[in-house]
Amino acid sequence: MNDRVVITGLGLTCAIGGSADECFNNAIAGKVGIKEVKSVEHSACYAHIGGEYNEFVTPEGEDRASALCIKAATEAVTDSGLDVSADPSRVSVVIGSCVGGAVSIEKFYRDYVADPGKASGEDVLKMPISAIANNVALKFGAQGAVDNVANACAAGTMSIAIAADLIRSGKADAVIAGGSDPMSSLAFSGFHALHALDSEPCRPFNKSKGIALGEGAGILIVESYEHAKARGAKIYCEVLGSGVSSDAHHITAPAPDGEGMQSAMERSLANSGIKASDVDYINAHGTGTPLNDTSELGAMLRVFGQDGKVSCSTTKSMVGHCLGAAGSVEAVMCVKAIERGIVPPTVGYTEEDKAAMREKAGDFDFVPNTGKQRKVDYVQSNNYAFGGNNASIIYAKEGVERSLAQPNKERIFITGFGIVSPLGNTEEEYAANVNAGAAAKRCENCGDYISAVGKEDFDAVGIKLNFYRKLDKLSQMTCVSGKRALANAGITVSDENSRKIGIVAGTSDGPQTDIANFQKGIIASGTQAGSAFLFPNTVYNAAPGYFSIAAGVKGYNVTLSNGAASGIAAVAFATRVLHTTQNDVILAIGADEDSETVHMLYEKAGAIAAGMTPGDGAVTVVLERESSANARGAKKYAEVLGSGFAHCPTEFGKYGCAGKLKEAIGLALRESGVSAGDIGMVMTCTNGVNSLEEAEKDALADFAGAKKVSVKALCGEGRAASSALSVAHAAMMLGGVIDGGEGEYALVLGASVGGSYNALVLRKA
Amino acid sequence: MDAKQREIADKIKKILVEDLRLPEEDLTDDAKLFGDDIGLDSVDSLEIIAGIDQEFGVSMMGVDREHFQTIETLSKYVMDNLDK
Repeated sequence: MNDRVVITGLGLTCAIGGSADECFNNAIAGKVGIKEVKSVEHSACYAHIGGEYNEFVTPEGEDRASALCIKAATEAVTDSGLDVSADPSRVSVVIGSCVGGAVSIEKFYRDYVADPGKASGEDVLKMPISAIANNVALKFGAQGAVDNVANACAAGTMSIAIAADLIRSGKADAVIAGGSDPMSSLAFSGFHALHALDSEPCRPFNKSKGIALGEGAGILIVESYEHAKARGAKIYCEVLGSGVSSDAHHITAPAPDGEGMQSAMERSLANSGIKASDVDYINAHGTGTPLNDTSELGAMLRVFGQDGKVSCSTTKSMVGHCLGAAGSVEAVMCVKAIERGIVPPTVGYTEEDKAAMREKAGDFDFVPNTGKQRKVDYVQSNNYAFGGNNASIIYAKEGVERSLAQPNKERIFITGFGIVSPLGNTEEEYAANVNAGAAAKRCENCGDYISAVGKEDFDAVGIKLNFYRKLDKLSQMTCVSGKRALANAGITVSDENSRKIGIVAGTSDGPQTDIANFQKGIIASGTQAGSAFLFPNTVYNAAPGYFSIAAGVKGYNVTLSNGAASGIAAVAFATRVLHTTQNDVILAIGADEDSETVHMLYEKAGAIAAGMTPGDGAVTVVLERESSANARGAKKYAEVLGSGFAHCPTEFGKYGCAGKLKEAIGLALRESGVSAGDIGMVMTCTNGVNSLEEAEKDALADFAGAKKVSVKALCGEGRAASSALSVAHAAMMLGGVIDGGEGEYALVLGASVGGSYNALVLRKA
Repeated sequence: MDAKQREIADKIKKILVEDLRLPEEDLTDDAKLFGDDIGLDSVDSLEIIAGIDQEFGVSMMGVDREHFQTIETLSKYVMDNLDK
């Protein structure tokens, strides 16, 4: 089994340096990069500090998140000696981010507020998180899977875990993986509004009152061992197992009991086949907020004990909290610690602090103030995020003992749906409307296809006003869709199964409406006046986070963002998660919202003039292992047989070369063991834009006999909602819920601006 | 409630409706904001503090929770502390 995954290249830019070596040398010396923030206006705020890397000036015309990421990726690719062009289809890009193009978002809305006509469509294309991985793929010519992980502060760790899984499942030989986030008024103002910023440099696990924000990008070349060996690459260390869990507690605060954190830590150990006592160094999340630090310390002491054998530090005390980049910045620190046999410190501890820490945590070693030489064979790195998402991963010295959890080979079935769409808010209503040929709801003025959820939906799924009033439309639709999917599948969430039910969400544009509302508020009233109420809604993983709370779902929880295909990508990814984790059920959710803001953004970007009509919605596809579905006698609508993806490095905003859709289809058919002639139905991905129509026509030349079905013709371009709806619609046709199904097999297609194409094959169950 | 407090209470109600997306019909002067009636939480209280600071220039940071009970108690605190 080809399960050895190694790190062969490093790139890092953060407050304490512009390269991995410079940053690590400064870290072990205890150098603090937290000082007065220059790029955000904060004169009326109570806190003024953060960890910027002002030596790096964003090149003219670029967004800072992508620019920082490309800087670190260039270092990492050079360091690894990887020749992407040798086999570009086998090189993937997976990048984590929290605020993405927040600097461009601020610029756009400053221009827009001054004069709507002046705000530029070019800035719109720099706003979404989706742009980052696409820009990296374009820079290096990578043509494998391209994805962004949008789980706020846990995204950087998740991206590396996902990269390792891609390699282990045979989908890639090498992955450019990591995370990037800039200093931004959005994040500064948001954490300020929550009173989560410390006015002094943070001293995590000790007297800290909050975080210091940071910025930066950490990139690692994650590669299969065989591939690295064959090309004679330098191997820094190995990536072992990972663990992801969800608190289902609160949208911003961690659960005080730290159980979700503990579960993630225990899963990464179990999936690596090592014991807690094997771990030499923990790079803790350690943000400096009292809530995080108390929960996290409690969880670590339960897992690792107080005897002081393991060293634990938080490098955020020097570089600040880099949000979606944090896990990847810390990953580089961990890899360097293994390479050099020195662990970085937690800084800012006085003698008095150290005594207080002994009271709290016995002999637990926080590596105070300066780095420490020691054996570093196994390292655990942990990150936790808004939405209650927890992630943990193990890095280890090359060749040390381990016994990785083996993937199960179970068949994966679709056992339920939750549909919020312009054609109805339940799966029954949607199917009935489709069968009756009913017209979808449309916006009178703009023509967009519009979903609408209201009190009757929340009452029906048991969500109360004091919960749903806080939600933006994206989150409201997601919660209703997810709750209805559980009910449709006949799943009752209980203490017994809550950690075995997970979520993989996909969204193209995330919560752009509340991001705009929040940003406009700062522009009108100042950084000090950011809305504490709106800020939690500005992260892309808020919607699935709210849903996990509403439903009590505590398993896997990852949010992917890569354009309109994000919904079908979520289904394909969820299938792999079911093969490699402890989850029995994954709710794959595709969701995107429409609003005046979103319509305006698409108009500015030129998509509406190109022929696309926006739509919206949230569609949940319940995916389940055969053993679980059989054990509870679940109705099976369809089986997920296989998937394929291909990427054409393309300027973000365009669809790119036609041949890549064909390549994705070929990969999906091959994995499924079926031929083009077997396919009875094709769910198309065209949306009225000419270049995409042509690409699809070309790719479907071999499928002349198959029935073509388009959910976008029914409900508009609902982006991730449409691509997830395509999967649900196909499964409902195969299952006989929607009339007119033909054949045993359906092919489902997805396309994203930036050049990503997905294909999925379903079989009648 | 006199006319001055009424005016303040109506402005606070507007903050609650616009910034916290609360249904206006539920916001009587004596509805328990943090109890079972409305169910606000700590993030909401930060938003109320920020809204009142911005609207009236009255800082309620660190103020006893009894003043946050209802629109009536909030408006009374604001009235008593205006121009201080």
